[in-house]
Amino acid sequence: MKISYRWLREFVETGLPPQEVADRLTMAGIEVAGVAPVVTGLEGVVVGELTGVTPHPAGAPLTLCQVSTGRERFSVVSGAPNVRPGVRAAFAPPGARLPGGRRVEMAVIKGSASQGMLCSEAELGIGEDAGSILQLSEDAEPGADLVAYLGLEDSILEVEITPNRPDCLSVVGVAREVAALTGAPFRSPLIAVKEGDQEAAALATVSVEAPDLCPRYAARLITGLRVGPSPSWLAQRLRSVGLRPINNLVDVTNYVLWEFGHPLHAFDHEALTGGRIVVRRARPGEVLVTLDGQSRSLTEAMLVIADAQRAVGLAGVMGGVNTEVTAATRTVLLESAYFLPVSIRRTAKALGLKTEASYRFERGADIEGLRDALDRAAQLLADLGGGVVARGVLDVYPHPRPPARVSLRLDRIQRVAGVSPPRPAVIQILKALGLPVEEQAERLEVVVPSHRRDLAIEDDLVEEVIRVWGYDRIPSTLPAGPLLLTRRPHHLALEAAVRQALAGRGLREAITYSLINPAYLPPFGVEASDPRVVALRNPLSGDRSVLRPTLLPGLLEVLAGNVRRQLADVQLFEIGRVFEVQGPGELAREETRLGVVLTGLRAPRSWHAGKDRVDLFDLKGVVETVVEVLGRGEVGVEEADLPYLEEGRGVFAVVEGARVGAFGELTPRLAEAFDLSAPVYVGELSLDRLEALPPRPTRHRPLPRFPGVSRDLAVVLPAGVPTAEVSRVIRETKSPWIRQVQLFDVYAGEQVGPGLRSLAYSILYQAEDRTLTDAEVNAVHAEVIGRLRGLLGAEIRGLEGEER
Amino acid sequence: MPLELTMQDKRVREILRGAHDDLARAQTSQELEQVRLKYLGKKGILSQLLRSMPSLPPADRPVVGREANAAKDEFEAELARRLAATKAEERRARLAAERIDLTLPGRRAPQGSLHPLTRVLDEIIEVFQGLGFAVAEGPEVESDYFNFEALNIPKDHPARDMQDTFYVADEVLLRTHTSPVQIRTMARQKPPVRIIAPGKVYRRDADITHSLMFHQVEGLAVDRDISMADLKGTLECFARELFGPESRIRFRPSFFPFTEPSAEVDVLCFLCRGEGCRVCKASGWLEILGSGMVHPQVLRTVGYDPEEVTGFAFGMGVERIAMLKYGIDDIRLFFENDLRFLAQF
Repeated sequence: MKISYRWLREFVETGLPPQEVADRLTMAGIEVAGVAPVVTGLEGVVVGELTGVTPHPAGAPLTLCQVSTGRERFSVVSGAPNVRPGVRAAFAPPGARLPGGRRVEMAVIKGSASQGMLCSEAELGIGEDAGSILQLSEDAEPGADLVAYLGLEDSILEVEITPNRPDCLSVVGVAREVAALTGAPFRSPLIAVKEGDQEAAALATVSVEAPDLCPRYAARLITGLRVGPSPSWLAQRLRSVGLRPINNLVDVTNYVLWEFGHPLHAFDHEALTGGRIVVRRARPGEVLVTLDGQSRSLTEAMLVIADAQRAVGLAGVMGGVNTEVTAATRTVLLESAYFLPVSIRRTAKALGLKTEASYRFERGADIEGLRDALDRAAQLLADLGGGVVARGVLDVYPHPRPPARVSLRLDRIQRVAGVSPPRPAVIQILKALGLPVEEQAERLEVVVPSHRRDLAIEDDLVEEVIRVWGYDRIPSTLPAGPLLLTRRPHHLALEAAVRQALAGRGLREAITYSLINPAYLPPFGVEASDPRVVALRNPLSGDRSVLRPTLLPGLLEVLAGNVRRQLADVQLFEIGRVFEVQGPGELAREETRLGVVLTGLRAPRSWHAGKDRVDLFDLKGVVETVVEVLGRGEVGVEEADLPYLEEGRGVFAVVEGARVGAFGELTPRLAEAFDLSAPVYVGELSLDRLEALPPRPTRHRPLPRFPGVSRDLAVVLPAGVPTAEVSRVIRETKSPWIRQVQLFDVYAGEQVGPGLRSLAYSILYQAEDRTLTDAEVNAVHAEVIGRLRGLLGAEIRGLEGEER
Repeated sequence: MPLELTMQDKRVREILRGAHDDLARAQTSQELEQVRLKYLGKKGILSQLLRSMPSLPPADRPVVGREANAAKDEFEAELARRLAATKAEERRARLAAERIDLTLPGRRAPQGSLHPLTRVLDEIIEVFQGLGFAVAEGPEVESDYFNFEALNIPKDHPARDMQDTFYVADEVLLRTHTSPVQIRTMARQKPPVRIIAPGKVYRRDADITHSLMFHQVEGLAVDRDISMADLKGTLECFARELFGPESRIRFRPSFFPFTEPSAEVDVLCFLCRGEGCRVCKASGWLEILGSGMVHPQVLRTVGYDPEEVTGFAFGMGVERIAMLKYGIDDIRLFFENDLRFLAQF
């Protein structure tokens, strides 16, 4: 919200410069995001009177204007539509300076000399309007300096008000703060209404049928008004805080809104059927065209202002077109009411209609102060519109709210803040904030004024005292108390270990959005409409509208993005949660997973590395590394028929008999869908499931004391026999001496014949209690060979042995 | 001197001269080896001479023997000197020929990287663990109760505007902060409580500085005598650890529904040291977290007595801190995962 510093000073007599005031406010919780002068670089611009306007020889829209500054006369070419004799306007004679360093010179425009220029708001840097010249009030003295006349020597403070302080959504509210913070006296606004003879009650009646939603409704009537432009000072003040001047009637309600923070509404009295105001809930099916021209379908939950027949305004949000003030309006009914914040918030939200009024009402207006705002506006209207304020206020306030009382113990300040100002300072701060204090022995009783409903409990007062006293005076200590165990949860430690291991293997960690496009899901076997998918009710956009049931689409999106940027070698992993619906009204099932995607070269191109591309066994190696880091046994595989994995190239990872994930080669179709041509390998493991498996105990096993004997053999088998099967057959040979079985070569080709492959194993035989004899080793080795032949029909080649 | 002896003597000198000539002629260590064999090998000239000693008359033996041995010593010394020099020369020549370019990059196993957010998160967690805070976690899909109501943010309260929310059902939403973890923890355990809650949070808001998903770390300490001074000391310590020993922080009053009093915390801009620059928007300070004393209503909600215990809470955006720490100006970079971005951390 923009606050004019000049305006502010009408209510607080501070001599501090604007920036200093802004800094004090910021350090007291009223954040000032910026301070800027209203204009910069405006020099020599004066009030000019148009004494004559004649067509320009070059034709419309140009005109030749005679401008008088009292002492001098100028002939000026203008293109503005609003030049008329008698108009007073902003005039920049030759030599004047405009914002942006522009200097006004004599000029010749289409053959005519132009001695200076008539300026628009935009040219003066004080508003948006660039199409017409800035017209001033009729009382503007020709030749007067424009900066002084309009009060442009002013700064605007951009304040950001937290939701608990609706009172500070106003000049008066901020002035109260400045007074409390600087010690400068606060000047209450002077409100004196000069009432006419006519009784307001004779002109209109107010009845509140929904007092639960409208605890107070007050109105005044002003008669004999003439609607016209606002005086220059008022128009300028509104412009300076970003409001557009419209006419004296509307401008006054906006002005008082800004000054007091209380929203007002003016109805055209003649349009109110029966001269009645009825505050009631909307009727089913009732429709109201609001001032923005929109037709609004109302519900019974919404509060309306109605006349004898129909709704004429959406209470606290926006008025209706049917009772809008017009140029012809003579009598207005001015409303100043208090509406229940929740009701206003719901209505504004339901209709998607947020206004200055609703913003304030939903934060809580000042139920006691609304009369001041009403009186201020009524008198201003009468003054500016030449009208008369009717006698009396129509004020329906059946249950006046007693002021809240909150007590404050000084030791509570000490306890919460760790420090406390002395008692007299506390009392002085509270009083400066406009909070009456009753002193009692142990405590202070504070009577909370109606505009500070945010002060509800003792700690609220603690904050008031400390923030004014200064947060910087709070000392620094560290919490005392017992030592607490702070070990990182086990699963987080494991995740950290996995991250480190994978980063050490050359993979980069990615973090992708948990929200994904459901269109990615069908290729992963999940229909977008699948009831297990956690979908947002109010997504920002379709491509981030469901919570991921798998990490892979997000990772593939990132992989594809990199490949598109010519980064073709991508090895990424992510650890994050996936989500699944558990049941209606229940929270989602969340599972932590590890996702891996690989494509391109195995190692970055270098003078020593080969040009090998990653393959399935790089991926399997990653999976094995993870399981090893987690200390959870061996990785087995089970063929998997998953729609996103290429047939015969995708498997489930099985650890301790439990499926913990799947990995394999992405189907070319899916790769193509991501615009990828090189093979892509993807895997996903459930870290939760892995962590749930029993960890392998870490136990020391004595080192062998006797040498072992290593024997190599080559097993020739049909290529379809899995190596895991061969290893199993070897390992399961009945002998305590088989210590290690290592596959060290796989060969398929001419030397073994078509459909066959040769698997070379090295087997270490070793006993714990003695050195084995050749005969003993030979016997076991022969048994191994026998099993391979017998159980698998293997052909055995090239037997060798060596001592170890 | 007997003639024979003179002759013997002469012969030794001749041999020696010949040996020296041979050595002088030899260019390579191989040639030197041949010279050595010629004189000192089994059938070498000097060896034979020495071996012939017993056939000399006994009287001559000492003299001849002395001469011959001296000649041998002299030869061996010269040989050794030449051999050393030649070998050194040859080694130099070989190294020059087989010159290695040590500016070639070393053989490295491909190195991956941790995401910058992980790095910053780990650092934050480490600091607070050192201060006695344990890590706590909670669900990302959360109930309205834990995310809002228990935190003193009732339905239809304007404070809800501070956090635009994604809903998945009437009472189920994506948590907008990790504060619900505080509630869950307090509801489960008695004071003293000292936790931090790191994790992903979601807001219905996206631009250059706001992401619909981001990471937070919240902290909570509740005990008999926790005050705002403890909050200040804790956060000062944190700032020094994360941003360097020169770091300074300041507290500014603010509003959060779940704390009272509340404070925004700024850290002295570490780029300009408070002078004012582009990053701190000329203010000299960078806003890094929100904090305050746990609202008595929140304590009551979890069954604590606000007259018995007090507590502080704070929360920070990890992306914001990473952006400040590493000079990143667009929050979206964290989730684009461009390899050239990731490789910088």
